[in-house]
Amino acid sequence: MKGNVIKYERDNIDTDVIIPGQYLKIHDYAELALHAMEGLDPNFHSKVKEGDFILSGRNFGCGSSREHAPIALSHSGIKAVLALSFARIFYRNAVDGAFLLPIEIEMDAYSNISEGDEIDIDISNNTIKNLTKKQTYKMKPFSEIIGKIIESGGLFKYKPI
Amino acid sequence: MGKTLFEKIWDAHIVVEKKNNPSLIYIDRHLIHEVTSPQAFDGLRMNHRSVRRPDLTIATMDHNVPTTDRSLPILDQTSAIQIRTLEKNCKDFGIQLFDITSHDQGIVHVIGPQLGITLPGTTIVCGDSHTSTHGAFGTLSFGIGTSEVEHVLASQTLWLDKPKPFEIRVEGKRKNPHAVTAKDIILSIIKNIGTAGGTGTVIEYRGDGISDLSMEQRMTICNMSIEAGARAGLIAPDEKTFDYLRDRKYTPKNYESLVDYWKDHLKTDSDAKFEKIYTLHIDNIAPQVSWGTNPGMTCDVTESVPSPEDFSKGDHNQKKGAEKALEYMDLKPGILITEIKIDRVFIGSCTNARLEDLIEASKIIKGRKISPHVRAMVVPGSQMVKKQAEDLGIDKIFTDANFEWRESGCSMCLGMNPDILSPGERCASTSNRNFEGRQGTGGRTHLVSPVMAAAAAIEGHFVDVRKMDLN
Repeated sequence: MKGNVIKYERDNIDTDVIIPGQYLKIHDYAELALHAMEGLDPNFHSKVKEGDFILSGRNFGCGSSREHAPIALSHSGIKAVLALSFARIFYRNAVDGAFLLPIEIEMDAYSNISEGDEIDIDISNNTIKNLTKKQTYKMKPFSEIIGKIIESGGLFKYKPI
Repeated sequence: MGKTLFEKIWDAHIVVEKKNNPSLIYIDRHLIHEVTSPQAFDGLRMNHRSVRRPDLTIATMDHNVPTTDRSLPILDQTSAIQIRTLEKNCKDFGIQLFDITSHDQGIVHVIGPQLGITLPGTTIVCGDSHTSTHGAFGTLSFGIGTSEVEHVLASQTLWLDKPKPFEIRVEGKRKNPHAVTAKDIILSIIKNIGTAGGTGTVIEYRGDGISDLSMEQRMTICNMSIEAGARAGLIAPDEKTFDYLRDRKYTPKNYESLVDYWKDHLKTDSDAKFEKIYTLHIDNIAPQVSWGTNPGMTCDVTESVPSPEDFSKGDHNQKKGAEKALEYMDLKPGILITEIKIDRVFIGSCTNARLEDLIEASKIIKGRKISPHVRAMVVPGSQMVKKQAEDLGIDKIFTDANFEWRESGCSMCLGMNPDILSPGERCASTSNRNFEGRQGTGGRTHLVSPVMAAAAAIEGHFVDVRKMDLN
């Protein structure tokens, strides 16, 4: 999975800035996507391209349980969020609806990957290749359940046991 | 080895458990509201599924209902559609709904306990992160997303990874419990352990500092567990819990035998092990005021706004976060918290809009007027809270002081209805989140207790409420 990185160098990016409350009444996902990240980066919609990744710090997606957050990012074209850690509800929402991949990274990936870098995420080997900088980093493997839900294509396609 | 309270409730709700697999957990009560449920019902219809246990599913509308005169039509058409959609979904699937005209309408986490729907030892989920509130009753309760809402509607179960138990001990006695409140205790905890300090855990709050609290105060504590990143917060039930739930509208008929069972079963064994332990001594804690853009960015009312260097303790991201927060909040390091002037006051939300919160705030307001440049509103947590307060004449105390006295709902906590801040406005708020834009684009939120919010309304800035007469 290849794409370019949009980097937000901070911790605690909350779901209120990912999709502000006033847009939670919107039922149409394409319209919702127009307002993704609006609370933090009003230029997000004009710069994001299909297949891009977001890179950020700790506790990404903290706050409200709104599934609108991964939906808005996903329908903007974001395929994965790479972060030092995630808040639990955002993490499960991203995976349950098969909206995007929440990928936990280590400090070396966080510090070395820059805005605009092209990276290649290889989930089967838990590695991230930085094609721009010719570096390779490890990603934390998914837990068993999360891996299975992702493989199945979301919570409702997951057939356990 | 003994078990923690969390482990006991978890084990009692396992439907399927297999080594190295998630557990399928039974859900006893499912609370739903208008914002995070419509897509879930769409999913049910698309897949020709029904609601498995409509009798265990309870709905209300709270997030975007107007807090003005309920006999008038809803002007915001998108809100009106979301509200009508919930009405239709509840009708189609046979779910009990406390709608906008109901005497039992209110914020979902206020009405659950108030109606006796929240019970010790049970599991409760809701598509809202502040579902952790119900943990005050020894209930394992947590927020879920809309896909999980659909899963619970369809199956009354959830696939979950087991969280780890985290003990937070609150010890000591507050010198002035009217001025230093449950809100100040939980803000102190989040300030110290951080907004991700509870990630992957269920917190059990223990110690004399917790058992001293009333049920409504305990709800304030558990409510904000999510702001420390925890899945849920729990407090073992005791006589106060049993008394609170006795004789509520939906209290089970066999209540006393349930109480006997709860007394025997719902406590952490003395030899149980917690994954993590943190202790807060509260003898000398001060009233808290948040200065930044997450609940961990909080300090004592007697302190000044910290510099990003001091706040970050050498962490690069924390420093950048603090710089960005100060810029957004339009604050400079070194300004005394008591010098910060406010434009708006919001007393409301699932954190602090219960009867006791309103009574405590009204003691400060009584016989005074709010500062002329401040606009202040009270939004009771439920219609029942509103009625009880009006029966006590508390509404009059607020309106005499020039507060607006409104209908119940989530209101300005999350800025989904017309109750929002204008860009640049600064608000003393009893809610739970000071995120950028949370209360309206460009709005600046300071999280405080109801007593601090009331004092700030009168004085026009934050004050050390310990110096005020609160008895």
